[in-house]
Amino acid sequence: MTDSLIGRNLLAGAEPDPAGDAGHADHPERVGFFTDTSVCIGCKACEVACKEWNAIPEDGLDLTGMSYDNSQGLGGSTWRHVAFVEQTRPVGAPDPSAPPDSDSETELRWLMASDVCKHCTHAACLDVCPTGALVRTEFGTVIVQEDICNGCGYCVPACPYGVIGQRPDDGRMFKCTLCYDRLGAGQEPACAKACPTDSIQFGPLDELRERAALRVDQLHDDGVPGARLYGQDPEDGVGGDGAFFLLLDEPEVYGLPPDPVVTTRDLPAMWRYAAAAAAGLLGGVAAAAAAAGRSR
Amino acid sequence: MRLLDLLRRDGVNQAARKKPHTEQSWVAPEWAWSWPANRRILYNRCSADPRGEPWSERKALIWWDADHGRWDGHDVPDRPPSHRPPKDATGPDALAGNDPFIMQADGKGWLYAPAGLVDGPLPTHYEPQDSPVPNPIYHRQQRSPVRQVFGRDHNLYHPSGDEPGSEVYPYVVTTYRLTEHFTAGGMSRWSPYLSELQPEFFCEVSPELAAERGLAHAGWATIVSARSVIEVRVLVTERMTPLTVGGRTVHQIGLPYHWGPNGHSRGDAANELASIALDPNVHIQEVKALTVDIRPGRRPRGPELLDLLHDYQRRAGITRQTGTEVRG
Ligand code: SF4
Ligand code: SF4
Repeated sequence: MTDSLIGRNLLAGAEPDPAGDAGHADHPERVGFFTDTSVCIGCKACEVACKEWNAIPEDGLDLTGMSYDNSQGLGGSTWRHVAFVEQTRPVGAPDPSAPPDSDSETELRWLMASDVCKHCTHAACLDVCPTGALVRTEFGTVIVQEDICNGCGYCVPACPYGVIGQRPDDGRMFKCTLCYDRLGAGQEPACAKACPTDSIQFGPLDELRERAALRVDQLHDDGVPGARLYGQDPEDGVGGDGAFFLLLDEPEVYGLPPDPVVTTRDLPAMWRYAAAAAAGLLGGVAAAAAAAGRSR
Repeated sequence: MRLLDLLRRDGVNQAARKKPHTEQSWVAPEWAWSWPANRRILYNRCSADPRGEPWSERKALIWWDADHGRWDGHDVPDRPPSHRPPKDATGPDALAGNDPFIMQADGKGWLYAPAGLVDGPLPTHYEPQDSPVPNPIYHRQQRSPVRQVFGRDHNLYHPSGDEPGSEVYPYVVTTYRLTEHFTAGGMSRWSPYLSELQPEFFCEVSPELAAERGLAHAGWATIVSARSVIEVRVLVTERMTPLTVGGRTVHQIGLPYHWGPNGHSRGDAANELASIALDPNVHIQEVKALTVDIRPGRRPRGPELLDLLHDYQRRAGITRQTGTEVRG
């Protein structure tokens, strides 16, 4: 721990050292994922590798009709989710976000993107967890301790991305651990290891951010103006994601919230208002009591 | 050399090599490894003329370095151009340096094949056993005259091209694989982790065909051939495009063929729609191109299914002889 924690808002704002501020002295570098969706081929090897390594149960056999995406989204039993988005756009149009012109020829673009827990710098799931099951690891990642979670479910609505979820026949909450056990053994997470195109890249977060900035520039130079990073900005509503993305279109297209904010950001202010309100109420009660006493 | 020794040559796991294309030639010999000699382009000898000069600078793969008397280039060559096999050589050893097709008995490209093929000596075009269009090359010979057919009650063929009754099965089906399953699904269908990713048998159709037949996205459809009636879920997608063949629109239906009656994820089997008609040389059945009809809703069960099957066969005028002709 470098600076004192006293007087700082640890729930939002700049946070260069989440592991240190969580009490890990002498911790390793913060690590994360950079998922470059521009090279994803939709093989779902990441989904299967994740399930195999973490022994996650099957999550339902529903054909959704959402292109080739039948896992639907992240949840207690799906920790990597590959979205498939079929888009029509004008032939040769450099900017796919431009609306197709009705009488020009169109071609189809198939976007694929592997989503995962963002391992937020300010993780609301962790902030609201009353049992201490959700913790910040020495790697700066966020995990649920299975033997402590009591299934209260506070974390579920707290997550601004809808990541963490309950396993219905179990009752507890589960989510991506960024393969905490593999990190401890000096290995990369199973999904990154399995990804054949290096769409999923694992490494020190600082290094990934640099690499991602170069990749966006390269794509812009190559005539893909829609390329953009998502979740890489340490100044954003969650203080930056430990797992961030390169997208080819608006986040909403992939089912990601455009401007996520840690849901506990306003807690200190809310407590202040609550305290003021309580003081006001108490004052009112006292005044009423005094008035009642007088009138007796 | 043993496979393992090849793979570990120079102490490097050759199969795990991932040198970027920017750091090596465009043939990328150091991206992984290719059995048996790390040769990337079979018959690369054809990229150079008989003397070993590349036909095209831009597409050059290997070239003969006369000064040093050896091949040079981006890919792994077979043997020197001047190589002449010993008189008593047999098999691949009997091929000379100007026999580039090293997988063929005579080392030559088979455009003209005077021996070895039942349907040689020159390649040509016949329509598949089931086809929605007449043969554009031979108007009087629709199907290969030397194909092998078996006209039986459970293997009836469709009228083809402009024969009467072919309009009863107006659409083209092709079958293919999904990344998530393996061949007919006999193994992958039993794995929960793969089944949940592609849990149900489905067809893929264009918005145009869906409109023509009233098919609802994510709903059910019944597909009928003279062999069987199956049911599938429907994906309507612009990835499927109507084709223009023989001057008219032909709709295609895509069927991933990984399902069957058992396993963690079950469904009807796509191959039940296909007939057995074999090519004359290697006797491979033609299951990738067939014609069908498609209609909204689930298929009937029990005897009603046979009624539907037989009704279609009757309307198309199908007998055991249909589609079994040699000439015509
Ligand atoms: S994405 Fe959701 S579950 Fe993951 S760390 Fe952030 S708040 Fe927690
Ligand atoms: S393994 Fe890689 S390429 Fe395959 S779906 Fe996942 S992210 Fe995409």
